[in-house]
Amino acid sequence: MKSIWENYTTDNAYDELMYSEFQPRPVSHGLCQYLNSLKKTDIDKRKIAAELAIMEMGISFTVYSDEGNIDRAWPFDIIPRIMDAREWKVIEKGLKQRLTALNCFISDVYGEQAFIKEGKIPSETINSSKNFRKECVGMKPRHNVWANICGTDLVRDKDGTMYVLEDNLRVPSGVSYMLENRVITKRVFPELLQGIDILPIDDYPTHLQDMLSSIAPQHNNKPQIVVLTPGIYNSAYFEHAYLAQQIGAQLVEGGDLIVKEDDCVYMRTIEGLDKVDVIYRRIDDDFLDPEVFRKDSALGVRGLMRAWKAGNVALANAPGAGVADDKVVYAYVPEMIRYYLNEEPILPNVPTYLCSHKEDLDYVLAHLAELVVKPANESGGYGMLVGPHATAKEVEAFRQIIKADPRNYIGQPTLAISTAPTLCKGKLEPRHIDLRPFILQGENTFVTAGGLTRVALKKGSLVVNSSQGGGSKDTWIINMEGR
Amino acid sequence: MLSRSAERLYWLARYMERTENTAKLVSVHMNLLMDLPKGVEMGWQQLVRISGSEQEYYEKHKVANERNITRFLLTDASYSGSLFSSLSAARENIRTSRELLPDEAWEQVNEMYLFTKCNLDTIANRRSRVLFLKEILKGCQRFTGLLSGYMSHNHPYRFIRLGRNLERADMTSRILDLASLLLAESRSDELRQYETILWVNILTALNALLMYRQHVRSRVKGDDVLNFLLLDTNLPRSVSRCLVEISDCINQLPNHDGLPQRLAELEGYVQAIDTHQTTQLQLRAILDDLQNKLGELHGQIADNWFLRAAE
Repeated sequence: MKSIWENYTTDNAYDELMYSEFQPRPVSHGLCQYLNSLKKTDIDKRKIAAELAIMEMGISFTVYSDEGNIDRAWPFDIIPRIMDAREWKVIEKGLKQRLTALNCFISDVYGEQAFIKEGKIPSETINSSKNFRKECVGMKPRHNVWANICGTDLVRDKDGTMYVLEDNLRVPSGVSYMLENRVITKRVFPELLQGIDILPIDDYPTHLQDMLSSIAPQHNNKPQIVVLTPGIYNSAYFEHAYLAQQIGAQLVEGGDLIVKEDDCVYMRTIEGLDKVDVIYRRIDDDFLDPEVFRKDSALGVRGLMRAWKAGNVALANAPGAGVADDKVVYAYVPEMIRYYLNEEPILPNVPTYLCSHKEDLDYVLAHLAELVVKPANESGGYGMLVGPHATAKEVEAFRQIIKADPRNYIGQPTLAISTAPTLCKGKLEPRHIDLRPFILQGENTFVTAGGLTRVALKKGSLVVNSSQGGGSKDTWIINMEGR
Repeated sequence: MLSRSAERLYWLARYMERTENTAKLVSVHMNLLMDLPKGVEMGWQQLVRISGSEQEYYEKHKVANERNITRFLLTDASYSGSLFSSLSAARENIRTSRELLPDEAWEQVNEMYLFTKCNLDTIANRRSRVLFLKEILKGCQRFTGLLSGYMSHNHPYRFIRLGRNLERADMTSRILDLASLLLAESRSDELRQYETILWVNILTALNALLMYRQHVRSRVKGDDVLNFLLLDTNLPRSVSRCLVEISDCINQLPNHDGLPQRLAELEGYVQAIDTHQTTQLQLRAILDDLQNKLGELHGQIADNWFLRAAE
């Protein structure tokens, strides 16, 4: 019988688990030994068991298409991604440092604007950001934290360096899949998990609840917390319902809430109106309040901004926090860390060319075929150019798009992002992956042990987004000490 | 508790109860037909009749045979009263109220839905239909049991009980409607001869045979069965018991306004029925009236709790 590792290659990128086809890294010794002890048919059985569990648990996401919205089962690869806890400790510190600096920056943008006044970032960059909300100027959320929940995307380059690719500060999603992935792994490989010292992740809901309580308007020690969802047809509805259930909060839609003349938010219950203290909102700023933002929004709550500004309700993340979730602003994060914290950044940025700068623009246009070019404000991997994978025609078309709106584009070198063994038709093959840890900041700061590993299931693809053929893996942070 | 959530849980329970009742009804009917000799006027069309969907059925099918009717009642996704439609609606309601219920409840309903979806074609065959229905009934029992054992008996739970018992009372009254047909003076001698078998099956459809034997302690007789299924306040599926449950929930829910009073009237109305004294025609009129009253009760519950959103 042929080995499941046959023809496995680690030539093209850093592999998270293997030095080579025959030699696992120290962190994956246990896993490889175990996999090699299984028959090929056993591995297939586990894969089927995992798929069944996903169907039964109803872990799904919604794909929008011309034929309507379809609930798809969450694509999951049973082979975990593994990292040494010693490396993780450093990353965790780096993530806390980064979010702390980002929150200082957002407070500053809506306050003194010292960073701008001292010429650290052009005021034009802020003013032209579509996520800068002038309505938020002068607001002071509790603990001076605007981005309470952050999902930061990390990728590893060929030389092993871990880079921050982007900070998702608006309504980052994926944490429920991280939690469910572990539940599935426990079902599928119970005997394997017993022998390995993996850091637990299931304390996330507790920390989320603590964080949300910590930002409640001060006069309340048992705050009423709700999760605000755009509704059952949203692609992340599964996650909204899951998180509400996990933290014992009500899951509400815009129509369930009302802001009264006293500028307080209430929900409509069987007992009448009930006051709400904290809203974990999963609706974009644009749709939050038709009184202030998009007038045509049917998802939000009229008067919500009034209530928030009056200090009667906390919103997580705070409106306007997205100003730091902009790929141009991203380029300035290392400088923010130095400026606000007087520290050196622990996690490096990917080198970034800002098309708003003449020099950078020229460089980008001259090297389009080698670079990744992204719009400043899109998410989900849409509207970007991966130079090395694009046809000459696509490159030329993109050149015109950039020229028309340079402020909105950035260029980055195409990283050979790392791979991990992934089960493909009964064999293991290297597939590119990234990592999205989740960071919570309120009174305290918390980082998940690991995060959501997303994997590009298509051979050679670098796009890990679930909406575009990506899947996910369980992520193990392993304690290697004493071994 | 959100008004919207209350409404979804109420409907979740109604649809789950409807799923169970449909499965039970088809399953008992299959048994009954196996006992009766060919040619007795007790055919499959009676099932369509009590579900009140004759018109829709005959728009789709010319013949009322086993194959068409079981497909119509069990797996026809375009007929809103079919088992598959009920289960799909239940799943949609629970999918959108997961934050109020134990995980297992969602997984249970989701599993049943996936199971049904995979077995839509197998029900044409009698043997696999028997297995299918058994699995559905088991699933419904598991669902009810795990809510009772895993969930706090709080307001959300009360809305579930409310929905379940209203649906149950409605179904029992429909089954009694069917039974009253059997009392028709015009019934054939042959049918009279097999009457006991019919009544036993009615009791079985409502899981009431054992309790009837213990409680009524006489041979199975039509008017006794009717009385038992309408008036006994301990039998889970009797109309009176359902009303006791509904009244219990309503009294414990906030802002119940005039509902307890209306319910007391309804309970009084049912208790005043005496099947020993009524003709078949009178009985049918009473049952029709009862179904209308249950419909009104639903309207009052909705007005009282679900529409508060408009305030």
